[in-house]
Amino acid sequence: MADDVRAMTRELARDPDSLVFIPLGEELRRRGQLDMAAKVAASGIERHPNVADARDLYARVLIDAGNPAAAEDAWRMALRLEPRHAGAHKGMGFLLFQAGDLDGALDHLETALSADPTDATIVQALQTVRAAAEALADSPPPQERVFAGFDGGGAGVLLADERGLVLAGTAQDASGARTSDAVAAHVAGAAREAERTARLIGLGDWVSIAVEGPDGHLHLSRPTVESVLLVKRDRSVPPGRVALLAQRAAATARQWLEAGNL
Amino acid sequence: MKPTRAVEPWILAPLERFVTESAARLTLVMTPSGQVLAQHGFTRAVDVMSAAALGAGIVASTGEIATMLKEPGFQALNHQGRRHGIFLAGFESPRGRLLALVVYGTDSSVGLVQLFFEELIAEIGEVTPVMPAPKAVLAADFEADLNQSLATLFQ
Amino acid sequence: MTLRHRRILEGITRVRGMRGAMLVAADDGLVVAEALMEGIRGNALAALAASMVKRLGLAGVATGIGEVRFLHLQGAEGAMLVMPAPEEMVLVAVGEADVNVGLARLEMLQAVRGLT
Repeated sequence: MADDVRAMTRELARDPDSLVFIPLGEELRRRGQLDMAAKVAASGIERHPNVADARDLYARVLIDAGNPAAAEDAWRMALRLEPRHAGAHKGMGFLLFQAGDLDGALDHLETALSADPTDATIVQALQTVRAAAEALADSPPPQERVFAGFDGGGAGVLLADERGLVLAGTAQDASGARTSDAVAAHVAGAAREAERTARLIGLGDWVSIAVEGPDGHLHLSRPTVESVLLVKRDRSVPPGRVALLAQRAAATARQWLEAGNL
Repeated sequence: MKPTRAVEPWILAPLERFVTESAARLTLVMTPSGQVLAQHGFTRAVDVMSAAALGAGIVASTGEIATMLKEPGFQALNHQGRRHGIFLAGFESPRGRLLALVVYGTDSSVGLVQLFFEELIAEIGEVTPVMPAPKAVLAADFEADLNQSLATLFQ
Repeated sequence: MTLRHRRILEGITRVRGMRGAMLVAADDGLVVAEALMEGIRGNALAALAASMVKRLGLAGVATGIGEVRFLHLQGAEGAMLVMPAPEEMVLVAVGEADVNVGLARLEMLQAVRGLT
């Protein structure tokens, strides 16, 4: 192996315009010598700016070096030079899969496979992305999974905004029918009522509302000024525990809201 | 949302706050003679005129009963129906005695209406501007004033 | 206020941290009987407590827990407790922020039984 690198290096030194920089750069990348691989690739691109393979090599080095944004630029340039470049499509498929754009990833990988049907890694990548897409089709939308880590898989935990619109979570009535929209409207109204009551009675800012019913407990709180959180549990869960659960759910809600998940 | 309208602008904000807090569906603020100063929730001038006349009439009638009983006067009247309640009360303001007629639904209560009515009275007391010296009222002026008021209440 | 109502309300106000208790007509939000410390607006407490029970009752139906049996509004500087009572009334108590809610709730349950 080392002989190959030496041989390719000698050839490149003898003829700087040689395309041997491409296999040389790839070999250096495989050995983990990323700085050297990047120099070889960049130098090769200067001499051969319209060679898509050079851009593809550079992108792969950048990905290994932890720079996906620059890698994306390099692959896009490769595709401008050669629209059916299998390597660039494979690379873009990888990036989009990482970013959660499964449809986009599938498009690129299918194009890569049609351009190079012999590349087994493309077949494997396609299988991976298709499996992920199927799993996602069966699971609930992201905003309903915010509280999925709680007891009961997040059922009976709902986050609403101050206008009474659902932000995250779900709610059901006694028959199991989804009532998220109605509940969100009610909890927002209850929050306004609580704010008014606390103000006029001299209770200070309202912190929480606990409601006990024949078939369960409710706990309302405000993770942020503009949101209201409802936690519902059946009667087997003591109200103190519902309150603790609500505190945890409020922390989760705050993190989710602060992450800009709107 | 149904608009709140007032003949004189100073009454608008206090009345809007009252309507919001009490969830009143219809409100009239008027003089004991039935001249309307502000309204909320009415969509037709004829309804305003009828409600004002009836409200003023009820207050006048119960005032007569109070006189017969040697009472200084009843402060408020409340009728509770199945789907609506009617609250009728008089109050003193810098512009003299005024009446309020409030209709509320099952999403409110007489307790809430009374609570925020007290706040309405206090606010009106604070914001009412000083009245200029009254001039003699001619019948023609009165009718013109009334028509102008109705037009303002339904802009 | 009847003697019976007075005894019932006093049982609740004896809980440490309690600032008052009252019986309220649930539909009207009007005071039936009260035992409140100075500075507490009884008519406001009555109207708003009754309104909160109605409001949370709707949420209770939508979430499947049923009608309100006990309501605890916790504020930074105080707490309000509400429990439906016979004859279309609600029992309302208001206390300091750190009032023992569990104890107050038991006293309110006892009071409601006394009204039956």
